[in-house]
Amino acid sequence: MNPDLLIEAVRQGASGVLIAAGFVFFAGGVIGFLRFPDFYTRLHALTTSDGIGAVLVLVGLAVGAASSAAALKLLLLAALIGALTPTLAHIAANAAHAAGLAPLVGSYTAPRPGLPRQEPRA
Amino acid sequence: MIAMFTAAGLLLALALTLVRLFGGPTLYDRVLAVNAVATKVVLIVAAIAAATGQAELLDVALALALASFVVNTAVLKFFRARTFQAPLARVGEELT
Repeated sequence: MNPDLLIEAVRQGASGVLIAAGFVFFAGGVIGFLRFPDFYTRLHALTTSDGIGAVLVLVGLAVGAASSAAALKLLLLAALIGALTPTLAHIAANAAHAAGLAPLVGSYTAPRPGLPRQEPRA
Repeated sequence: MIAMFTAAGLLLALALTLVRLFGGPTLYDRVLAVNAVATKVVLIVAAIAAATGQAELLDVALALALASFVVNTAVLKFFRARTFQAPLARVGEELT
């Protein structure tokens, strides 16, 4: 078998696996962002998994990129997003806390279709 | 091929994030959703750049990522202190 073809196949496969792993994190982040009860839990769900998912997807695109210049730029973008997303999470949590947004405390049952809606206890 | 599927999946995630952007109960949820939408738009632009081979679009994605961070930071700074001004006097200093 032609070694160049083999390397190309491995490259595309690794790219696909990395991007698929990134989408697992994206799915978790978006579902948590939609279903969690208050701002701080939503922040936790979204920013942690979104940052990891974005970095994984960008590294996957860089692995499968056509030219090395494009791959380098994609890796730079991955480093940038990986640094900026946690920073913005900290700023958002700090702004909300300093402005007096209270977190939800106590037990909480997420609303489900078919079951009666339960209001969160304060 | 992989890049096109990436862009399509990111569009789905972006649509789900838009639900929280328009329905979020607090303004901090909306700021967070704006940041998530901006991140996903950056990734879509990068995926389109990888799919079509247009290297200029990667510069667009880089500029978009930096600009969205600055905008979100400014908005959060405003809603933390409710002003863009520097404080006139720090704690413990005499007002002049």
